[in-house]
Amino acid sequence: MTGIQVEGLTKTYRRGLAGDRVRALADVSLAIAPGEAFGIIGPNGAGKTTFLGCLLGFLRPDAGRITIDGRPPDDLAVRSVTGYLPERLVLDRWMTGAEFLAYHHALARLPSDSRHVEVEAALERVGLAEASRRAIRGYSRGMLQRLGLAQAMLGRPRYLFLDEPASGVDPAGVVLFRRLLSELARQGVTVILNSHQLDQVERVCDRVAFVKAGRVEAIETVAAGAAHARVLRVRSADGPALTRERLAALAGESGAALVDMNGREARFTVADDAGAARLLQTLIGAGVPIAEATPEESRLERLFLESAPEATGPATPPPSASPASPRGPA
Amino acid sequence: MNLTLITTLWRQRLTSAVRMAVVAVLCGFPLLMVTFMPAMGMTPLGNAQGIMLALAAGMIGQDVSSGVLQLLCARPVRRSEYVVSRWLGVALAGLAISLAQLAIAGAVLAARGAPPSPQQMALFAATRAFECFGLGAVMALLSSLIGGFGDLALYLIASVVGGVLQIAGQAKHWTWMDRLASEFQQTLTPTLDLQRLIAASPMPWFPIVSYLSAVALALALAIVVMNRKELSYASG
Repeated sequence: MTGIQVEGLTKTYRRGLAGDRVRALADVSLAIAPGEAFGIIGPNGAGKTTFLGCLLGFLRPDAGRITIDGRPPDDLAVRSVTGYLPERLVLDRWMTGAEFLAYHHALARLPSDSRHVEVEAALERVGLAEASRRAIRGYSRGMLQRLGLAQAMLGRPRYLFLDEPASGVDPAGVVLFRRLLSELARQGVTVILNSHQLDQVERVCDRVAFVKAGRVEAIETVAAGAAHARVLRVRSADGPALTRERLAALAGESGAALVDMNGREARFTVADDAGAARLLQTLIGAGVPIAEATPEESRLERLFLESAPEATGPATPPPSASPASPRGPA
Repeated sequence: MNLTLITTLWRQRLTSAVRMAVVAVLCGFPLLMVTFMPAMGMTPLGNAQGIMLALAAGMIGQDVSSGVLQLLCARPVRRSEYVVSRWLGVALAGLAISLAQLAIAGAVLAARGAPPSPQQMALFAATRAFECFGLGAVMALLSSLIGGFGDLALYLIASVVGGVLQIAGQAKHWTWMDRLASEFQQTLTPTLDLQRLIAASPMPWFPIVSYLSAVALALALAIVVMNRKELSYASG
């Protein structure tokens, strides 16, 4: 059996030496297909990192079973095809970046004759070629994360476990990470991404699990977000301004509804992506000079809000939103 | 045994200025005594305990509490392999430093007109080897039990407790307590008195078996502890 299979995974921790047991994961079951990019999202303390720890064999579940390619996660055969980037990367800071990668290349039992070339290529790939001879202790947080990603990608792993990979990374690094992860996903690497950055998860992952209080509340395909209702913000360029009544009528013609209007900016509710397209077509047809049309939440935000609305805390409707607005808590 | 882990441990120790300064003092001071008091022969060199403690402190616990071990355990490396490699790395480093110290002491004594015999040198080197591998195994066990440099504290506390029990046993003429404390001390710092072993006839097997079993037990327990350890961030 290939891919990752998780059945009835339960994990508890003891709080303190003689304290009560706290449930971190409760009866989690899911399957991740080979080559799939799978995201794990949820609020802080939901059990995401514990789940990743169990998948990597660092933590022993109280109940349930995990197999990767039909083997337990701590099997050496599994580890030899696995790459891992922890959230808080702790390294031997006396090494240089190149030495650190060479060390992990050797630990991964990769052939020593290709070590130098592969290490240099990995450093180049994450933009650290120039800093490769510097001691890690002089690296910034973002550089450490880049180095961590380079070590996780060594030896072309078939499974890549990433825990908040872009944490502390500068915007250029975030773009680089996104590009590299998308590349890996296209190459058929199974990527398991635990991240708070919903836009990153949305761009990289095929499916997403919403974890809350140790349970998987929902598993959705990212593409499914297209079929969910949302609010579309439309800004028109200078030109003849339409009245609120006219805009509401045009929205009604296309199956949308006007939420509010503020100068040249208006907000509409649309049923799905097709509804958004119909609304824009109608507005353009009526001569509205549209300069910008932006959904208020990404597809994943919508899925997150609809699948686990209480996960985001108490609802705070926007001041201008009408009671009919389909938006969840912001 | 994993050569990468062993050589990395050596480099890690060499780059630690504090550790190297302690080792330099522990090696240098006895050498000064040898230089200025050649009549004492190699006696001032003492044993390898100080050097080994300086090299071994935090040999596993530091990796556990810092989180380095988590990344290492994601690699195809058995935890038993890690423990054995750390033990060998520390013991071989201690032995190498001991042999260097011995070579310098031998050269100094030869220059001062009191060269040690080859047999003396060989016995010293072999005894140091037993000390290094023995204490290295005990420190591996203590380091697997507690994070950071807690192993050093555990060792020092256990040594003091053993010493107090021995003194109390001798003062009260409680031979059982004296014996118990002596065995405890020997388990804590396993070694072999080769001079006595070679001189004795027939060969006394008890100290040999006792030494080997203490080393094997310490390593086996360290491996069991590490295999049972769950790794999370700063899990030490």
